[in-house]
Amino acid sequence: MTQFLIETSWLIPVYGLAGVIATLPWSTGWVRRTGPRPAVYINILMTAIAFIHGSLVFRGIWNSGSQELTLTWFQAADLRLSLALDLSVVNLGALELITGLSLLAQLFALGYLEKDWALARFFALMGFFEAAMGGVVMSSSLFLAYSLLEMLTLSTYLLVGFWYAQPLVVTAARDAFLTKRIGDVLLLMGVVALSALVGSLEFNDLYEWVKDPQLSPWAATLLGLALIAGPTGKCAQFPLHLWLDEAMEGPNPASILRNSVVVTCGAYVLIRLQPIVALSPVALSTLVVIGTITAIGASLVAIAQIDIKRTFSYSTSAYLGLVFIAVGIEWPGVALMILLTHAIAKALLFMSAGSVILTTNSQDLTEMGGLWSKMPATTIAYVTASLGMVGLLPLGCFWGYHLGIDFLWEDSPALVVVFLTVNFLTALNLMRVFRLIFLGAAQPKTRRAPEVAWPMAVPMVFLTVFTLLVPLILNRLYLLPPWEYVNIPALMLLVTSGLAGVVLGALIPISKTLARSLQRPVRIVQDLLAYDFYTERLYRYTVVWLVERISWASSWFDRYVVDGLVNTVGLVSLLGGESLKYSISGRSQGYLLTIVVGVSLLGLLMTWTMW
Amino acid sequence: MMLSALILIPLAGAIVTSLWPQEWPADRIRKIALAAQGISLIWVGWLATQYNITLPGMQFVSSLAWIESLGLTYRLGLDGLSLPLLFVNSLLGAIAVYSSPVTIRRPRLYFSLMLVISSAVAGAFLAQNLLLFFIFYELELIPLYLLIAIWGGARRGYAATKFLIYTAISGILILGGFLGLVWLSGASTFDYDPGFAQTLTLVEQSVLLVALLIGFGIKIPLFPFHTWLPDAHVEASTPISVLLAGVLLKLGTYGLVRFGLQLFPAAWSEFAPWLAGWAVVSVLYGSFAAIAQRDMKKMVAYSSIGHMGYVLLATAADTPLSILGTVMQMVSHGLISGLLFLLVGVVYAKTGTRDLTVLRGLLNPERGLPIVGSLMILGVMASAGIPGMVGFISEFVVFRGSFLAFPAQTLLCMIGSGLTAVYFLLLVNRAFFGRLAIRPPSDAVEPDLNLPRVSWSDRVPAVVLAIVIVALGLQPVWLSRWSEATIVALRSPIVELAEASTPAVLCETSTTFPCAL
Repeated sequence: MTQFLIETSWLIPVYGLAGVIATLPWSTGWVRRTGPRPAVYINILMTAIAFIHGSLVFRGIWNSGSQELTLTWFQAADLRLSLALDLSVVNLGALELITGLSLLAQLFALGYLEKDWALARFFALMGFFEAAMGGVVMSSSLFLAYSLLEMLTLSTYLLVGFWYAQPLVVTAARDAFLTKRIGDVLLLMGVVALSALVGSLEFNDLYEWVKDPQLSPWAATLLGLALIAGPTGKCAQFPLHLWLDEAMEGPNPASILRNSVVVTCGAYVLIRLQPIVALSPVALSTLVVIGTITAIGASLVAIAQIDIKRTFSYSTSAYLGLVFIAVGIEWPGVALMILLTHAIAKALLFMSAGSVILTTNSQDLTEMGGLWSKMPATTIAYVTASLGMVGLLPLGCFWGYHLGIDFLWEDSPALVVVFLTVNFLTALNLMRVFRLIFLGAAQPKTRRAPEVAWPMAVPMVFLTVFTLLVPLILNRLYLLPPWEYVNIPALMLLVTSGLAGVVLGALIPISKTLARSLQRPVRIVQDLLAYDFYTERLYRYTVVWLVERISWASSWFDRYVVDGLVNTVGLVSLLGGESLKYSISGRSQGYLLTIVVGVSLLGLLMTWTMW
Repeated sequence: MMLSALILIPLAGAIVTSLWPQEWPADRIRKIALAAQGISLIWVGWLATQYNITLPGMQFVSSLAWIESLGLTYRLGLDGLSLPLLFVNSLLGAIAVYSSPVTIRRPRLYFSLMLVISSAVAGAFLAQNLLLFFIFYELELIPLYLLIAIWGGARRGYAATKFLIYTAISGILILGGFLGLVWLSGASTFDYDPGFAQTLTLVEQSVLLVALLIGFGIKIPLFPFHTWLPDAHVEASTPISVLLAGVLLKLGTYGLVRFGLQLFPAAWSEFAPWLAGWAVVSVLYGSFAAIAQRDMKKMVAYSSIGHMGYVLLATAADTPLSILGTVMQMVSHGLISGLLFLLVGVVYAKTGTRDLTVLRGLLNPERGLPIVGSLMILGVMASAGIPGMVGFISEFVVFRGSFLAFPAQTLLCMIGSGLTAVYFLLLVNRAFFGRLAIRPPSDAVEPDLNLPRVSWSDRVPAVVLAIVIVALGLQPVWLSRWSEATIVALRSPIVELAEASTPAVLCETSTTFPCAL
């Protein structure tokens, strides 16, 4: 039985797709009589089946060891593309995380989007999303992983553009697709190059090839940079980070997944690619630099945001920056630990944010306050998630931080500082947001704020409990360090940084009426951070401007030079005919004169050399 | 006669629709035309079942002496290069007839001209005699000219004449190339033979190849011979655009592979780096020009220029995989651009405009065009190379096949693939997202707009194409299996030959790459 389940584990992503196809009658509007609910139940059921199947396979693999499933998909000439799945404990753990969070997010969406007319379409997209993510973490072939990452790009586009009639959504969807697409095209270049150089795109063959690559350092560097470009876009890292913040215009349940597991998928592929990226030291240090810039920059930017979802989305970028650092210094274990713990805590954080948004009909932090007594479950979820996010109490991310700092302790103290800074800034920001939402006086939008309904409360409370249990689960999976190996000074520093963040966050003056400071220097810094260091404007004046100009120029060239030349030829021949027709006068003197002149000229030419 | 049927069925349909003595309602004429196209589609399917995919050479060869003193024989043959293209021809032919409105003016002439085009294109893909190919190549020109000039838009006269002159020049150059080839090689017949040019010097080969390159380059079209295409597309009606983009452009790329590459392998390998460079220019130029377009149809037309550039790149690279890539890319471009033109046609029919500066919010579920919009998203994603659809795997095979031969050019062409996403996303974002309106954005209060309902008969052709696109994307072997044997066999003798003349590039490819056949 277990073996049968393992052999059919390729079905796990397919369940989601089956749900999508089964939803089509509702999402296209063929079936209207029943309302969209049946489609919703089908999708939730499919996700539940995927989750159960996944957990059974997980148990089987836990006992029996890794297995591979390979299916040759396309073979022609010297190209062989296979769809290979790698069923290892880590991959299936990630799969469980994805299907589990997807299940919770879909239950949450049932309440959150209850009144939306396109509920069926939303769940179809969620199923698509889940299928692509499940495939990415299970794939053991770069080709499959790349294809599914593209699917993720597409489904992100469609999910962000879910409310496509709103102007901000339109630009957000566009930016999400295009920024990710930049990364994807670069990644595709790397994939094509690897495919041509190695002949196979399965990770195992690639790892074999890495041992003796026979590649010039330049080529290795370019290859490495191309390979990290894809995950950079997917994980919203500098300089391709713009989209995640804008993507928060999409529905919140999708944001739950996007901030927790979608970014994880990108990082997961990066971890898989790490041995190949490691061919080039330049690419590895690029990873560290990108990660550092994003971690610090995004943490700072998050503090200046007044949109509840955007501030958390920047912190997602920051945490993924830490993952990039971990991959860059070749500690994939640290990366995985941060990914896992961050995903759970961030999902919960977004659930509580979703509850607040639905109840108050607002995402603006300055319009909130005093919710703690009115929405106790949400408040508890928020506090738990925050504690799970920062290194203060020994909950989820605490252990991720701890592992990272512990490994970096000897080699690169500078990066330890980066970790501690991110911890400090995140704690500060979470405290600030907590004060804005839950403490203080109630405002018009928060005055009548009942706790959310069951469909949202159940997944939220469940995830709250789960977040509290994460350390126990980690312990159970032997992922926590034994007590005697705990680096006490590192631990102290970590807790101190977290505590300092919380204390400072509790003490800084927060004004809801004046979001922008009156003092000019403060205001400049505030604006700089609030507008994300003006990256968007920077893009508009560089890349976008350049592409616009080039396309305008080629269009102009096409119209006036190429086509102009063609039309000129036509015009000249027409005019030539038109004007020559006047030479037909009908008078023989004229003809004779022409002949005489012509013959004399001819004679002149022929005798020219004799003169 | 199995192959002649592909030429004769549409021709018979054309004769019946145009010459039947009784007066017929337009609907019946359309049905007859559809039946003719349907039968030839079924015939292609039947041929495919009879076709032996393991045999590399020409199959079902039929030969009939025609004008022996000229060296013209009626010689047809089918191989892996032409079979997929014949399928596209019949499929898009049927779809073009289906999507033509019943209320069209002068239906007899219209449908018979369409059938003549299908017949001529099938003949060109099957012809195994250079002169015969040329005859079919020219035969398709006049009906298309008339279809644009009679049923076109406002500037149809200009566009049709431009098309006619360009394609006529292309025909003259091709004819010149063929005549020169036969005279110089001293052959007594125009029958197709890959060894034709072996006795020619490199200079002679080069001159002839340049003539063919420009001739086919006009048809494909490649920069700077492309300006007829956007005009023709904008002025042509939707079904004609589908035929033009989906089928007729393929004559150029087919000719490039069949006659350019296979007849002049030595000169080809000399030219290859330049051709790859030309492909890059064409791809990037087409893509950038597409970004700046305001007319949806023009945007799709420019995207064709970009995407057909990939075929030139792959043909220049000349590896087994890249040649397979040309076939796949031809088919996938035919299907995808056909789908896009159909959808743009529906939008135009329902809103009366294709202007991206005024169209907004067409995805609106009740008053807009939601299903057409969803299909449009599928189409542009397929064109942008999103996996799961046939565009991705064809581009992947093209790039993968060309990478070792021309790394830099391949990478630059891939930028074109990224730019495709840019312009098509702008198209979807502008026309389909936002609040439904047909006017430039303004702050004024606008009355709600109700677009006419789209009937299922408008959607069926697009849905069929979408299904084929997704099916071939999920199972690309269904597309590649027909061509593989032909291409592998076709490349191997000539690779050796090319190695002898240009050892540097190709030897490296085949040694560092053990699996290269």
